[in-house]
Amino acid sequence: MEAKHDVLIVGAGCAGMRAAIEAFDAGADVALLSKIHPVRSHSGAAEGGINAALGNASEDDPEKHAFDTVKGSDYLGDQDAIQVLCDEAPGDVYQLEHWGAVFSRTEDGRIAQRPFGAAGEPRTAYAADITGHVLVHVLYEQVMKRDIPTYEEYFAWQLVINDDRCQGVIAWDLLNGGLKTIGAKTVILATGGAGRLYVGTTNAYACTGDGMTMALRAGVPLKDMEMMQFHPTTLAPTGILITEGTRGEGAYLLNSEGERFLKRYAPNAMELASRDVISRAEQTEIDEGRGVDGNVLLDMRHLGAEKIIERLHGTRELAMTYAGVDPIQEPIPVRPGAHYHMGGVDTDLDGRTELEGLYAAGECACVSVHGANRLGGNALMETITYGKKAGRHAADWALMHTTIEVPEAVEADAERDLKVLLDRTDGERPWSIRNELAETMHENFGVFRREDQMREQGEIVSGLRERYERVVVDDKGDVFNNDLTQALELGFLLELAQCMVVCGLARKESRGAHARPYDYPDRDDENYLKHTLVRWVAEAPVLDWKPVTMTKWKPMERTY
Amino acid sequence: MDVALKIWRYDPDSGDRELRDYELEAPEWACLLDVLDLIKDQQDGTLAYRKSCRMMICGSCGMRMDGRAVLACKERMLPIVERGHVPVISAMGNMPIVKDLVVDMDPFWNKIRRMKPWLEPGYDEVLERERIVSQQEMNVIQKEALCIMCGCCVSECNSMESDPEFFGPAALAKGFRFVGDTRDQASVERLEDYNDEHGIWDCTRCYFCNERCPKGVDPRDAIAKLGAESVKEGIDRDMGAKHAKWFVKSAETTGWLRETELVPKTQGIVSAVKQTKFAIGLARRGKVPPPVPPHVAADVGEARALHQLVREQGREGALGIVQGERALARIEHTDAGGARRDAPEVTPREEPPKAEG
Repeated sequence: MEAKHDVLIVGAGCAGMRAAIEAFDAGADVALLSKIHPVRSHSGAAEGGINAALGNASEDDPEKHAFDTVKGSDYLGDQDAIQVLCDEAPGDVYQLEHWGAVFSRTEDGRIAQRPFGAAGEPRTAYAADITGHVLVHVLYEQVMKRDIPTYEEYFAWQLVINDDRCQGVIAWDLLNGGLKTIGAKTVILATGGAGRLYVGTTNAYACTGDGMTMALRAGVPLKDMEMMQFHPTTLAPTGILITEGTRGEGAYLLNSEGERFLKRYAPNAMELASRDVISRAEQTEIDEGRGVDGNVLLDMRHLGAEKIIERLHGTRELAMTYAGVDPIQEPIPVRPGAHYHMGGVDTDLDGRTELEGLYAAGECACVSVHGANRLGGNALMETITYGKKAGRHAADWALMHTTIEVPEAVEADAERDLKVLLDRTDGERPWSIRNELAETMHENFGVFRREDQMREQGEIVSGLRERYERVVVDDKGDVFNNDLTQALELGFLLELAQCMVVCGLARKESRGAHARPYDYPDRDDENYLKHTLVRWVAEAPVLDWKPVTMTKWKPMERTY
Repeated sequence: MDVALKIWRYDPDSGDRELRDYELEAPEWACLLDVLDLIKDQQDGTLAYRKSCRMMICGSCGMRMDGRAVLACKERMLPIVERGHVPVISAMGNMPIVKDLVVDMDPFWNKIRRMKPWLEPGYDEVLERERIVSQQEMNVIQKEALCIMCGCCVSECNSMESDPEFFGPAALAKGFRFVGDTRDQASVERLEDYNDEHGIWDCTRCYFCNERCPKGVDPRDAIAKLGAESVKEGIDRDMGAKHAKWFVKSAETTGWLRETELVPKTQGIVSAVKQTKFAIGLARRGKVPPPVPPHVAADVGEARALHQLVREQGREGALGIVQGERALARIEHTDAGGARRDAPEVTPREEPPKAEG
């Protein structure tokens, strides 16, 4: 064992760093461990904002925020978890401001808030269109202030389970090579999403679902894994994100006929309907021949140069660099792209998983506040509020328990497994498997889902997993061997894909991001107002269900 | 498109460096980073480089292309291929190479930490609501807050090449992010600290950092803002500060630079006396005007009025620079054009932000 801590946090984006700060302030010996430097985390790519009922732009209160979130989730969100989020959100945002977050401001000097999709009030606090970047940096400043030790460029690969407790992490040290074991009384997974399952995704290369699969392999169930959100405005071909803030500021979506087609899908909310609704509308327009080279058009010209430069500067830079389009002069071609995993490691309101000592927070967790469809601006808020709560509980628990024990056999097993992979010299390299996985997931498990395509995808993933058993890593060296870590990431992704297909087939209805217009076009509250739960047993996913926590909001028809 | 490029490889085990050629087929939309990915996938899995977001925000993929620092995800390959150019890719400068295109960023982060890069609000307990800060006050640090810590500026820094202990452009820009923040209560202490040896006055003003920054942070301008704030706060012990102060004073009083007085004002009398011979030589060859009578510009009133205006508006120090930057950006970007006299882009710091209890 290299070192021991009270609390070890895997992943150092918004959720991980917020958890670390909270655990540190609670008096615990805490460390962060991340495969990339904290400020490189993908939380930094969040653009539009963070939702809290501050009431700076209109009369607002946490109750309204909670209702919008419940409705947005297509009633699959757990209402107790949503209530906690919405109640604690304002205080948590003020905390960020006091740490120095560079929020945009209203005329009277308060934190500015803009309208966002499916929100009844302008509730999304923002820093121009780089809100995530600002938050990642302010949290890292606080991490530096506290001098919290950080295992940078450590690739977490396995959880250490001993005595029915999670007692640490086994990680590959990227800079120096070799497996390193870090013992901990509690481990918080904050590894983010798995957008790399799809070829067109807003997610970074780092978003490979590491924490979800590590938990899965440790016997911990994942929840609502079929719920992958497609963001309506991403750039072709790679899926780079254009913020919902563009529509919050008033941009239009047009089809090839120049029509604001959302009037046929969401006549009241128009461009500010929820993401699942708009993504389906776009895909329908494109499928019915009213697209432009497989895209629709995002038109912000009427916003004027001044507003675009002031509030959407980064968006303009992205459009100019990756689409060759200046949005001041021309509309941006956009289409739906995989963006956010509503599903993840099943946790309670303190971030606890089924396994003692193991916690999860942020996108890799599923509390669940997003249910079947997340509202824009709620993800950053979840990372902060539930990162804080997980950090607090993990620290308190750790301070009441003393021992950490990592049996030598655990480390030896990991060494042996890795040696098998590194010693293999003959076989297929991982990239073709990775590309096939991402392309077929997009084709067969995308915005719209068909029974036969999902079945086919299950078989494809099984085949890819068999091929993966024989993959070869080119780089055998110790120093910065990310050829090895990328191969391990593919292993994580393949198991998640298998889980998603199983859950998708089981949910025989249309709810939020899971749309089955060809066989089950409607929501079926009688049979499916419940979470899918999936466990890994004997190298295969086993499906289960879990009730949704309902408090005061009864399911209603969901229109925008 | 058919892409050709050369990559400086470095093998940490053997210590060998080698410039290797690569040719491949890539889609027309590909950036340098996509091309590196294709090479790593299909030709050589041992090629090492950092990457993550591929959208210019995470700051992982800083490297050099033809000797200049770039973000690999920002460089489109099509124009390069079209002009038949074969670029040379190498690791960033001023940082030790770990492997191929990966550098050790520890020295970089140590300098960031050295700036005490966190807000000092002057209190411990979080108040019930946010502090009241105007957008104009936030605008003062807008550019510095854009920094993604990619290291491109540090890679290109000439001062750091000759003095590895120089704080460097990224750290100093981070420093200004706090000095310029009206909520920070340690600005003067910070300026004292940043005025130390290897600090703000050791920048040679080559402007490479501004030119190579992929995000428009303009670190050299941030250093200028720190310098201006230092002088405004009376922190002028460094020769650099004295030098800058004399430029201002001279321009205000005569409309010209009084070069003969520049050396004594910057270096002090004793040091200046030692250079008398050199000065006489310059004067004899007509390189400097005689010190008496003072050479005063015909329209010196204009120069003095300008200084007066800056003082009246409270735009000494960093604010004057920020005001100019934002006015220029407006001219560049909007049809309406021009800076607006009546609607200042930034407002002077009047008092610490009001807190609500």
